[in-house]
Amino acid sequence: MKKFTNLLFKEIRELINKQLIISLLMMMAIFYFIGQMAKTEMKKAAATQKISVMDLDQSELSRGLAGSLKTANFEIEWSQGKDPEAAVQAAKKSDAYLLLVIPQGFGESVARFEQKEITTYTFLRSFSIGGIRKSEILRAVITATNNYLSDNVLKRKVPDVSPDILKSPIKTKDYVIVKDRMAEGSASAISGFVYSQSIIIPIILFMIIMYSSQMVISAIAMEKQNKTLETLLTVPIPRTSIVTTKMLAAGIVGLLSAAIYMIGMKSYFGGITGDVRASAAMSGVIKQLGLTLSGKGYLLLGIALFFAILCGLAMATILGVLAEDFRSAQTLMLPLMLMILIPYLLSFFADVQSLPLPAKLLVLAIPFSHPFLATPNIMLGRYPAVIYGILYMAVVFLVLVFIAARIFSTDRVLTMKLRWGKKKVVL
Amino acid sequence: MTIVLKVEGLKKSYGTKEALKGIDFEVQEGEIFALIGPNGAGKTTTLRIVSTLLSPSGGKVTLLGYDLKKEPEKIRENISYLPEEAGAYRNLKGTDYLRFMANFYADTREKADETVRRGRDIAELGTALNDKVGTYSKGMVRKLLLARALMTKPKMAILDEPTSGLDVINSLEVREIIKKFAKEGISVLLSSHNMLEIEFLSDRVALIDKGRILDAGTSQGLKDKYQAPNLEVVFRSALR
Repeated sequence: MKKFTNLLFKEIRELINKQLIISLLMMMAIFYFIGQMAKTEMKKAAATQKISVMDLDQSELSRGLAGSLKTANFEIEWSQGKDPEAAVQAAKKSDAYLLLVIPQGFGESVARFEQKEITTYTFLRSFSIGGIRKSEILRAVITATNNYLSDNVLKRKVPDVSPDILKSPIKTKDYVIVKDRMAEGSASAISGFVYSQSIIIPIILFMIIMYSSQMVISAIAMEKQNKTLETLLTVPIPRTSIVTTKMLAAGIVGLLSAAIYMIGMKSYFGGITGDVRASAAMSGVIKQLGLTLSGKGYLLLGIALFFAILCGLAMATILGVLAEDFRSAQTLMLPLMLMILIPYLLSFFADVQSLPLPAKLLVLAIPFSHPFLATPNIMLGRYPAVIYGILYMAVVFLVLVFIAARIFSTDRVLTMKLRWGKKKVVL
Repeated sequence: MTIVLKVEGLKKSYGTKEALKGIDFEVQEGEIFALIGPNGAGKTTTLRIVSTLLSPSGGKVTLLGYDLKKEPEKIRENISYLPEEAGAYRNLKGTDYLRFMANFYADTREKADETVRRGRDIAELGTALNDKVGTYSKGMVRKLLLARALMTKPKMAILDEPTSGLDVINSLEVREIIKKFAKEGISVLLSSHNMLEIEFLSDRVALIDKGRILDAGTSQGLKDKYQAPNLEVVFRSALR
């Protein structure tokens, strides 16, 4: 055990070097900085915004519309003159993001039940979410005004019937069913909410598996490049311990790095979403449908992630042996990266269950697919699928470890090389 | 004298290429046994097999009675191998590297301390041992590695070109250290291109070429046999 810990501490010390610490701290700082910037931008977008308004109508209705804009936290900058083009040029020079032109006869047309156009100009000065939000608010104000006007007309014309009934004679009551649970709510809203809450999970999985695998492959390649592997292989410690300590150290440092990385990501996402909290109603629906990760769910997800890391480490160990030096190790990461990338991207855009059978089998054959599939499966109560995934990964891991141990216990650890020039594996 | 290492009919093939075609030799306790030969003769392959890095394709190797194929871990406990192109962990300080290696051989902290002390004395790198290996010159790394190989007092030290990359003064010092440790009972199996070094260091020499041992004996015995002034001429004569 003493020899094992001696080797393990050395491996950890080799991995946690100055470069790693600096890059992690830099990454955290960058994410934090961007997050804070995004937060500031979002706050700015939510704060009082300038809007240029050219009111060519000067009617009660146009003044009412301007009043609504004030209520919606807009600061109105009245545009003088009669020429909309001149108003556009003036607004361009000012810091206003929006210009609203209310045409002459607007109030009268509405009173005559004629549809009348008002013109909005949005000055797209950046592609930030904050900038887009401003025009969304204006759109909401106009929609509310439209509703107000049509409701008033309907009330006057048909006083005994609610305008809501007249505008939407068919009312829907939406229910969402998940397994044996049912709750009232919109499927798209619920899906959107669950997606937004669990979007971080695949990112965490991706980062951890990539980090750990990258570390072990580099560690073995560096041993070869620095000519330390031969000496290490002749010291009195079982070869299996050499393999295990490399995997364990990479696993520990990989988890640590991913945790630090995720703190930065959390700060970044916190900035973008503005620390959005679920409404009480939505929380209730989510809970009612069981779309939350329970203790058992987290445990299963943790086990799935653990086995995926082990598979990644074992695969990286074998690939590391094939590498001649650090540079070739980076190239050898490619197949592993692809195997992680496929389920990672699929988790965002597609449902594996709905894929054609060959594609589905291909995805399920990749061990790294299973932790990505675990979250939706757990939420939807498909526990057997999660357990089968874990068992599959355990089998793959055992096979890979057996191969890795066989390689390390023979001279193949020194003679096996993947030569790209000759395009053949020398065994 | 006790036989520490016995090599019988040792063969090694890489695919269709035969690197060793059946070689035999023995190394006794406290003896320095040298393999000399041109590049590709099979010297390094022999040393790598004895140090358990490569598996033989045929023949038998026993060290202190342990069979290399059956008990490689027992062999590793009793040897120390210095490869020709070895390196040390660049992020570790010299002393930390010695301690890291000492911990594989010492049961207790006291024994590890003693081993490290011995390593420091052999290396003679002074305060540089407190610096990271990454800052060392090639010669300093070689001295550190030699110290690592000898500090554990192995039953057999396997040294592949021990003075490779060292200047004249450092080479002389290293040779003195090897001699000293052999007198203390450590058997040494080494290879070198430097015939002067071989003559100075070795008790017995094996001339190896194309995977076969051409002849073996003491330096003086071989010179007498081939009526040659030095080992270089001996080797040339043996090749004919």
